[in-house]
Amino acid sequence: MARTAGETNRKKLHSYYDYSLLFLILFLVCFGLVMIYSTSSYNAQRIHGDATYYLSRQALLGGLGIIIMLFVSKIDYRLYIKKLPIIKIKPVTILYFLCIFLQVYVILFGEEIKGAKRWIQIGELSFQPSELSKIAVILVTAYIVNLAPRRLDKIWGFLRVALFISPLLGLIIAENFSTGLIIGIIFVAICFVASKKKAYFIISGLVMGALASLMIFFVDFRSDRWAAWRNVETHEKGYQILQGLYAIASGGIFGKGLGESMQKLGFIPESHNDMIFSVICEELGLFGAISLILLFILLIWRIFVIAINAPDLFGGLIATGVLVHIASQVLINIAVVTSTIPSTGIPLPFISYGGSSLMVILFEMGIVLSVSNQIKVRGS
Amino acid sequence: MARNRTYNKRNILIIIIVIFLTAIGLTGRLIYLIIFKSEEYSARAQALHERERPIKAERGRIFDINGVEIATNKPVCTISVIHSQITESERVIELLSKELGLSEEFVRKRVEKLSSIERIKSNVNKDIADRIRQYKLDGVMVDEDYKRYYPFDSLASKVIGFTGSDNQGVIGLEVKYESFLKGINGTILTLTTAYGVEIENAAEGRIEPQPGNDLYLSLDVNIQKYAEQAAYKAMEAKQANNVKLIVMDPNDGRIFAMVNAPEFDLNNPYTLINDIAESYVGETISSEKMNELLNGMWRNACISDTYEPGSAFKVVTTTAALEENVVKLDDRFFCPGFRRVEDRIIRCHKAGGHGSQNFVEGIQNSCNPIFMEIGSRVGVEKTYEYYKKLGLFNKTGVDIPGEANSIMHNIENIGAVELATMSFGQSFQITPLQLLTATSAIINGGTLVTPHFGISVKTPDNRVVKTFEYKTVENAISKETSETMKQLLESVVSDGTGRRAYLPGYRVGGKTATSEKLPRRTGKYISSFIGFAPADDPQVIALVLIDEPVGIYYGGTIAAPVIASLFDNILPYMGIEANYSEEDLKNYQVGQFQVPNFIGKTRKEMKDLLKIYEFGDVYISGEGDTVTEQFPLPGDSVNRKSGLVLYY
Repeated sequence: MARTAGETNRKKLHSYYDYSLLFLILFLVCFGLVMIYSTSSYNAQRIHGDATYYLSRQALLGGLGIIIMLFVSKIDYRLYIKKLPIIKIKPVTILYFLCIFLQVYVILFGEEIKGAKRWIQIGELSFQPSELSKIAVILVTAYIVNLAPRRLDKIWGFLRVALFISPLLGLIIAENFSTGLIIGIIFVAICFVASKKKAYFIISGLVMGALASLMIFFVDFRSDRWAAWRNVETHEKGYQILQGLYAIASGGIFGKGLGESMQKLGFIPESHNDMIFSVICEELGLFGAISLILLFILLIWRIFVIAINAPDLFGGLIATGVLVHIASQVLINIAVVTSTIPSTGIPLPFISYGGSSLMVILFEMGIVLSVSNQIKVRGS
Repeated sequence: MARNRTYNKRNILIIIIVIFLTAIGLTGRLIYLIIFKSEEYSARAQALHERERPIKAERGRIFDINGVEIATNKPVCTISVIHSQITESERVIELLSKELGLSEEFVRKRVEKLSSIERIKSNVNKDIADRIRQYKLDGVMVDEDYKRYYPFDSLASKVIGFTGSDNQGVIGLEVKYESFLKGINGTILTLTTAYGVEIENAAEGRIEPQPGNDLYLSLDVNIQKYAEQAAYKAMEAKQANNVKLIVMDPNDGRIFAMVNAPEFDLNNPYTLINDIAESYVGETISSEKMNELLNGMWRNACISDTYEPGSAFKVVTTTAALEENVVKLDDRFFCPGFRRVEDRIIRCHKAGGHGSQNFVEGIQNSCNPIFMEIGSRVGVEKTYEYYKKLGLFNKTGVDIPGEANSIMHNIENIGAVELATMSFGQSFQITPLQLLTATSAIINGGTLVTPHFGISVKTPDNRVVKTFEYKTVENAISKETSETMKQLLESVVSDGTGRRAYLPGYRVGGKTATSEKLPRRTGKYISSFIGFAPADDPQVIALVLIDEPVGIYYGGTIAAPVIASLFDNILPYMGIEANYSEEDLKNYQVGQFQVPNFIGKTRKEMKDLLKIYEFGDVYISGEGDTVTEQFPLPGDSVNRKSGLVLYY
């Protein structure tokens, strides 16, 4: 295992680059494309008259995302918190205010799709600013924490960081609860890593829990989800989840075989989106599902290794942020699909259809690779 | 830049552990779902994906007594559209409305309706359906199906009946024998998408339909044809409303023919026949009115309508009197042209009266006062007892739905006047079939039979499933009375009012009737004749009713010849040989003789020879003196009065 650069400089050092992580990413993106074709071709043919309608879009953005990722991975992540020449502003600050602007914009002028204003339409493409906000939150939180990490030992230090983040977080939650939840988790996790004392985390955890239940019980739309989860077999809004369960259960140990899903033929609405994991279970079985979970575990493990070997705290924190982002989405998605928690719209990273989500994740992967690239190892 | 301290790394490890534990938990949940919920959920998913599509069972066919198919099935198609699969809706609308002859709005409404499948038209001919199939329109389904088809169109329409769009019997035998004919629909189990679209090559199972069983009838297409011919001829000649004609075997109740002219076309049962439609030309018929007219058109009047049987009913009165021994054949009566019953004077049909006559002459003349007399001798209670024995209080039990029952006086209300009118067939009503059944019992030796059409039910591969048995009551009347009645009724035809039913070579018995329709004095009559042959051993009995004939309306004049011409056709067909008596040969110039050899005879010899032989027209050609050729050839059997050609 690589050791951090600070320990020694006696021998000649050279940059490390986590190729296993890169390989995992590429594999997941390609696997995602296969599954998107499998799940979406029927509906694409039915609605758009072109079986590769969704596949080609996702492949295009995936390809673009990979190029961006490789580019980002070669930029030193520390540049984000250094003032730019000429304008004398840090990129992270620009990103933060850009995100706030976009979140406000989307609430006021966003495209309404399926009853939620979450998209900004740019020509042919629709773009979800809350995805970009995930990067902003990771970088900004890590940046602020990095300025004075010891303050996080006390709750006031945590609240001070929270104060900086809250405008953006508030805007996101107002617009999209599930993304807000993910961003909240990322934020808390980064602070958690930075702090030495943990008592207040338990308290704030309880407060978060209370707030979440308030959300669940007092916002109609979400309490419906709660009821649907409790009675998934009878509640009308449990339909999508129930269909997902049918898919998972009918897959068996080894699945029906790639492309053989029945449930994707219109029974699971938009099976290429958030419910894609259920079709993976149906087609590839328990075996395929566990393999996929293992791939994610492996990916998270690689990011973990990078995080603990990061040359500095900032690098470790952003790697942690990305790690938590991926892990929380994977876990929440699988929990929703298996009806372990009430349904909420979280895509499965790398796999689910969605351009902005994939681009952002690949961007984040670029940052993590860039952190790995700053790890100096002794040549052997 | 702050350092990445050990506790930071430990914290990350804590996060990783939480993540891994959660992942293990979810994997457990996944294993639980896949291993333990699999059976339940995949069964439910299966139920969701499977669709059962019925395959129509072919309806059983109907055959006549000789195995001629009179109701069968023709392949037809049903055209439907699947909304979600339609790609060129305008073309679909255009082609379907053109090919199916439907209005564009009608097709458009169905094509544009958001439903999984919408039926456009059923019972489409196969060639049209094949044409539509060739357009290869997306979303247009052509399903093969069967349609009931009646090869003889209108033959015995009201007896056979027809089926509705659901292939279920609507009237007639099609209804009565529904349970045997209908068969069991099969199903195809297929997988479909959520939009109801079948997935090709995914058929999971198929339960073959079981075709219905075939019904074999006593109806004889040939006899029915002869009967319809005779009935239509009478109807047209007499401009009658309708003509009913039933032909039956009096010994077991098998009905060979049942005509209700005018018949309707079984292949177009919802189209009014011209006889009805012509009264409504230029009128728009409301759907209620249309229903009423159609029901009237489909009505089997032979069994559903009652009428006053009139003089034909004297057969029953006579039977009762003979059974009760209240009259002897040589009893003498005097008819002054009327009979006084209590305060009423009831007239005989012959204004001046028949004068003095014995009973046999009385029945030959159909003299009303005599029957009033013997009716009163039998008395009310005995009369009703014989009515009962002859089945006149019950439906005959014929195997066609919609049979009516007789309308009789309540026994307490019968006074002398009622009894007198009943004795010659007035003041009560029975169905034609009831009269036929009662008369059959009188002439067959006293067995009351159940008239029927159904003989047996067989599977399509000719295995007998069921042979129908019908109730018979023996000794309804005595054999002696039956014998006497046959003789009496034969004399009615040979010497009485029924003489126009006389058929040379055959012994025909029968009774005429002329019933005045209610209300009286409107000049509306039903002329009827009931006849049977051979009179000594009846093999066939027939009843004809001519409803509201124009002009001469006497049953003896217009109804009797209908039976004569029918018997003339069907008796030889039934294998009953003509047996000409001397008198027949003389009076009707029938009979055959062998043509002698005339070749070589001179003209003079021929002149004498032709006086001996009864040729009709003789054609002579040639210039010679002796016969060189002749036609018919020597030794041929020819009928009397047939022509002869001679070449000299």
